[in-house]
Amino acid sequence: MHDTVNLEAAGVPMAFVASTEFIEAAEAQSRALGADPARIFVAHPIQDRTDAELEALAELAFPEILAALTPSRAS
Amino acid sequence: MTSNPTPKPRVLLDPTSERAATTRERATRRPSFDGATVGLLDISKPRGKVFLDRIEELLVARGVRVERFAKPTFTKPAPADLRHEIATKCDMVIEALAD
Amino acid sequence: MPDGLVAIVKRDCPTCTLVAPVLRDLATRGALHVYSQDDPTFPDGVATADDTSLEVSFALEIDTVPTLLSIEGGTITNRTEGWSRTRWEELTGLADLGVDLPDFRPGCGSRTHDPDIADARAVAAMTPLITSRRLELGGAEDEQEAMFARGWTDGLPVVAPTVERVARMLTGTTRAPDDLVAVVPPDLVECTVEKIAVNAVMAGCRPEYLPVVLAAVEAACTDEFNAHGLLATTWFSGPLVIVNGPIARAIGMNSGGNALGQGNRANATIGRALQLVIRNVGGGRPGEVDRATLGNPGKYTFCFAEDEAGSPWEPLSVERGLAPETSAVTLFAAEGVRGVVDQLSRDPDSLARTFAACLRTVAHPKLAMVWDAILVVSPEHGRVFREAGWSKAALREALASHLQLAGDDLVVGAGGMAEGLPAGFAGHTIPKFRDGGLLIVHAGGTAGLFSAIIGGWASGAVGSEPVTKAIGT
Repeated sequence: MHDTVNLEAAGVPMAFVASTEFIEAAEAQSRALGADPARIFVAHPIQDRTDAELEALAELAFPEILAALTPSRAS
Repeated sequence: MTSNPTPKPRVLLDPTSERAATTRERATRRPSFDGATVGLLDISKPRGKVFLDRIEELLVARGVRVERFAKPTFTKPAPADLRHEIATKCDMVIEALAD
Repeated sequence: MPDGLVAIVKRDCPTCTLVAPVLRDLATRGALHVYSQDDPTFPDGVATADDTSLEVSFALEIDTVPTLLSIEGGTITNRTEGWSRTRWEELTGLADLGVDLPDFRPGCGSRTHDPDIADARAVAAMTPLITSRRLELGGAEDEQEAMFARGWTDGLPVVAPTVERVARMLTGTTRAPDDLVAVVPPDLVECTVEKIAVNAVMAGCRPEYLPVVLAAVEAACTDEFNAHGLLATTWFSGPLVIVNGPIARAIGMNSGGNALGQGNRANATIGRALQLVIRNVGGGRPGEVDRATLGNPGKYTFCFAEDEAGSPWEPLSVERGLAPETSAVTLFAAEGVRGVVDQLSRDPDSLARTFAACLRTVAHPKLAMVWDAILVVSPEHGRVFREAGWSKAALREALASHLQLAGDDLVVGAGGMAEGLPAGFAGHTIPKFRDGGLLIVHAGGTAGLFSAIIGGWASGAVGSEPVTKAIGT
């Protein structure tokens, strides 16, 4: 999260991907760093997944990752 | 056993017109991925590489240039040199996979 | 509020210890309420109430201890300060008080007037009035980094605007925190005394500088000064604040050696506070609305006081219509400072010609009527005019005469330079400066036969008019 916030502060758009286990920790750390970086969460757990399952998670998260790195449509 | 007292929160007064949010603003996004280099930063937790390999394939399939980076350890922030290298080489970065 | 006789005392006051027997006497003779500001066990033998918080003392507006009051139905009907047998007997209606004591002894200062206590109380009273959005820093956030990251600074570190610091800053003015001072460009945001105080804290101001900052913001945000245009221009300029009048001395501003340079807190922070207000409240940031090609270091801060005491002439503020001894700011859209050397002229006309020759180069030697300028005359140059009996008006007249330029020399192409006035000016005589476009002030150290020129920006309705405003309280 520090890297995401630091690089974003340096002007590099960032997307931070974590498992759902990390939602609260990422929220707290963002708050602690005074930042609100783009965060994408994939279903926990990770460590015991097969390669195929991890690849499926990547495919599922991909559109959200792209959206986080492009201008938001709302603004 | 003694526990540290909860530190008093440090509160600053906003010197601005208060029209914008108080959190740091995100970096400006490029309108599209055309000509962009996307960095994939592996935080070096086990299994993250598989996830990022697939993300790389998906990006490359869209014609996006990809640069791969890996932190020496997920337990510490990336060294300044690595951050600098990433900021220099990449237009945007995906960091994964924390769990 | 108690009724009857009330005495406010403190042990740390010889007059109070002197009258202690009288207080014991009064306590035995009838209703007496004694409040002690420091030691609730004083005086011995009297049931004393604790007023170390000074709440009662402030409520009764105590200036001196001892103070003896008569209170009826919540209203003070009589009071006396210090010890005077006559007054105490009159007030209590009792005879033979303190027969062993001298007739009269003045009291001591009330603790309510201790500077630390008065300050803490003023700060405490101000705190609930502060309405600016609170930003709670994250536990891992460094204070300085947090302020840089939010774009609140000019690139240099700032003082963290805590509630306490801002409350203390607000004690520097009699104006209410929610009082509207100006509408700040470029975002045209209504700006209160409080928002200016927040930025003044960040700039490093002391509370006593605040009235100067308020006046500077007000002057900068007038239509005439045109801070919006000044910000948006590609030209070098930024707001310069020149301070006149007694407040400059009172807050320790520098009008002497290195007046235009670094090292004086008031000079440095007042100019910076104005710029931070424009940045943070108005939203004027370099690369956004601020389109300066090169800028100049004075855009961090540019503020100095005129040396009035050593000046051969009336102050700038007086020349611009304010009464003598009125504290005032004059805002000018200033480019950088350039030096003028003349170590040989001992007669005023020769020196005026030097000034004119250098003033001619403001912006470009072939351009006229558009750029304003300030001439900062130093003490050693000022002496030449004083000894010759030249008024400021006489110097102005000489400068105007030496700055009548031949149109033939100014038109496009003349001198082999494409830059210049349109060809139609050939054959005419053109003044370098428009009427009112040259300001003259006196400042600087007493050694050095140098003066300074501060170039301006486009003048008049299309650009900026210098604006002078009286400083309030």
